[in-house]
Amino acid sequence: MEFAATVVILTCTYALLAAGVVILYKAARVVNFAHGELAIVGGYVFYSASVLGSDSLWLAIAGALVFSIIMGVTIYMSMLRRLVGEPLHVTILITIGIGIVLKSAILIIWRAERLTIDVGVAPALRLSGGASLSYMDLASVAVTVLFFLALYLFLTFTRMGIQFRGTAENALLASQRGVNVDFVLALAWIIAVIAASLSGVFFGSRAFLSTESVTIGLAGLIAALVGGLDSLRGAVAGAFIVAGTQYLTVRLIDPVLSETVPFLLLLLVMSIRPWGLFGTLEELDRV
Amino acid sequence: MRRPTLPTSAAVLIACAFSSDQVNAQNSYVIGYITDLSGPLADSYTPTWEGFELFIKSLNDRGGVNGKKVDVVLDDDGLKADRAVAAAKKEAERENVIGIFGLSLSSTQAPVFVEMRKAGVPVVTTFSGILDALPPSKPFSYSTGVVFEVAGEAIGELLPKIKPNGKVVGMTFDSVGGRAAISHNKRMAESLGYSWDEVLFPVTTSDFTPYAQAAVEKKPDIVVGHYGSGQNLGVIPALRRSGYAGPYVVASYGVTEDTVRQAAQRAGNDPNVYYVTRYSTVYDNTPAVMEVAAAQKKYGTSKPFSSMHITGWVLGKFVEQALTACGWPCSREKLDQSIQHVKVDASGLTGGPIEMSPQDHYGPSFWRLYQWNETARRMEPKSDWLKKTGLKFPVQ
Repeated sequence: MEFAATVVILTCTYALLAAGVVILYKAARVVNFAHGELAIVGGYVFYSASVLGSDSLWLAIAGALVFSIIMGVTIYMSMLRRLVGEPLHVTILITIGIGIVLKSAILIIWRAERLTIDVGVAPALRLSGGASLSYMDLASVAVTVLFFLALYLFLTFTRMGIQFRGTAENALLASQRGVNVDFVLALAWIIAVIAASLSGVFFGSRAFLSTESVTIGLAGLIAALVGGLDSLRGAVAGAFIVAGTQYLTVRLIDPVLSETVPFLLLLLVMSIRPWGLFGTLEELDRV
Repeated sequence: MRRPTLPTSAAVLIACAFSSDQVNAQNSYVIGYITDLSGPLADSYTPTWEGFELFIKSLNDRGGVNGKKVDVVLDDDGLKADRAVAAAKKEAERENVIGIFGLSLSSTQAPVFVEMRKAGVPVVTTFSGILDALPPSKPFSYSTGVVFEVAGEAIGELLPKIKPNGKVVGMTFDSVGGRAAISHNKRMAESLGYSWDEVLFPVTTSDFTPYAQAAVEKKPDIVVGHYGSGQNLGVIPALRRSGYAGPYVVASYGVTEDTVRQAAQRAGNDPNVYYVTRYSTVYDNTPAVMEVAAAQKKYGTSKPFSSMHITGWVLGKFVEQALTACGWPCSREKLDQSIQHVKVDASGLTGGPIEMSPQDHYGPSFWRLYQWNETARRMEPKSDWLKKTGLKFPVQ
C-alpha cells in the first residue's frame, strides 16, 4: 500500500513535468531543458505568495498562476518567437540559458534558501504500518488527474484546441489558414509553465525547494523521452515507469543507484525504440 | 599649461587609487577567505562567513591587531574545487595574503591544502574539515571545523543520552564525507553495544520518501542523519510520514537551528528531534553568545542568527590571536608558526579552548547534544560538552 501510494505520488510529479516537456515539443518543437528550474521557481513563488498572504492558500495559488502566465508569455515573446523554424539545438541552448538565469534568480531573490511548502502537510490518510499521506499528497493526485483530463478535453473538443493541434502539425499551414500561431505557441508555454509550477509546488511540499532541486527536471525529461516526446499518454506512462523504477531500485537493489537506473532505462528504450514507447516514428524523422 | 585630458585624469586617478591600496596593504594584515556564497550550500556557508565578518568588523572597530587593521579578501568558490584552487592561487599570488581561512565542502579543501602547501600559505578551515589537520597533521593545514570522522565518533558516544541500547540506522548521502562520518559513527555505536544499519542515497536526491521508508523498514530505535540542512528538511518529515516516530539525530554539518525548527514543525511539532553540534546554539544564553548576538544586531547579517555565525565568530577569535602572536610585520611563515601555538578561549561558544600544537592542527574538540523543545520552541542541552581528542578508531 505504502509502495503504491509513493509511486503514484511520484508519478504525478513527474507526469506534470513530462506533460510540460511534451506540450512544448508538440507545439513548438522545443525540448525544454529549463523545465526543472521553472518548476522550482514556481514552487518558490507559491511559497512567497503564501507568506505574503499570511498563509493564504488562494493567494499562493494566484501568485503561482500569475507567475506561470507571465513567465510563459515572456519566454515565448522575448526569446523563442524569433527562433521559430530554427534548428532544434538552437532552442535547446536557449532553454539551457533560461535555466541558468532562473537558477540565478533563486540565488538573488531567495538567497538560495532551502524552503519547504508547509501548506496542507498534515496527515490526511493513515496507511497500514503507521505511514500517512498528507492533504497535499492527495491534492497532487487529484490535480494531476484533473490537469490531464482538462488538457484532453481542451485539445479534443475546443476550437482553440483544434488550432493548437493544427499548429503542432504544421505551423506554416496553420498560419496560412488564419490561426494566430503566436497566440497558440504562447499558450503552449503558459500551459507548460503551469504544469511545471504545479509539480514544483507538490515537490516542495514533500521534499524541499533549493537550487539543487532543479534536477527533478531531468526526471520529467526522462519520463517524456521514455514515453515519447510527442505523446501525452506517453508522458504518464514514462512518469510511472521512472517513478516505479526509482522506487524499486531503492527498495530492492541499492538506494545509491536510484538516480542512475532511470538513465539506464532511458538508454535501453532509446536503443530499442528511439521514438519512445508511445511516440511516433514520423515525429522522430522530422527532427 | 595643457589641461589634462580625460584619459590622463582617469589614469592618474587609477594610479592614486592603486598606490593608496598598496599603502593600505602595507599597513594592514591581509588575509583571504574562500567559501561557497553562490553554490548549492551557500545557505549553510554564508552565515559562517557572516559570523567571521562580524568578528573582523568589531575587531577593526576596536583598533585591529597590534594597531593594524585586518583586511579580508573574500572569494566565492561556488562549491567547486577548481574555483576554490583558482581563488586560493589568486589570493596567494596577486593579493599577497598571509593566510587563507574558511573554505567550503571537504571536496574543495584537499586541492587547496595541496596548492597552498607548495606556496607556504597556512590554511585554516572552518565549518567542515578533512583529515589533513588531524595528527599526524600536514604542514600549513589546520581546521577549527567539523572533521567528519570526529563528528561520527562524537555522535556515537552521545547516543546513550538518547537511548541506552537498541538499533541505530545511519542515513547519509553517498559522498566521501558522509561515508567517513557514518563509518566512525557505526564503529563507536557498535562498541557501545548498539546494533547498526544504514541507508545511503545519491547526493542529488531531493525526494527522500523511498529512502525514509527503507530506513523505517530496518526498524530503528534511533535514526542519525549525516548531511546538511536541506536533507534534514526532507528526511525528517519523510520518516514521520513513513511511520517512524522515534528519536532522530541531526548532525550539525551546517544545519542551522532554524532548519531544525522548520523540520520539527513539518514533522508535526516533533519533540523527538536531537541536534549534535561542535559550537553553541543561539539558545545558549552565555555572555559569549550574547556578544555575537549584539554584534549581529550592530552590523547586521543577511541570514538569521545561528550557530553557523558562532562558528565563524570563533574562527575570527582564532585569527585575532594568531595575528597578535605573529606581530608586525607578519609573514606567512611567522603566521604559520604562531597558529601552531594558538589557544583561543572559546568559553560559552564551545566546551573548551581551541588549541593547536605543532603536532596537532585540530586540537581537542567539544560536542554537545541538544533536544528540540516544541513547547518552549528552543533547543535544550541534553548533555555536557563531550571532549574529543583525535580519533578513537583509525581511518581505514
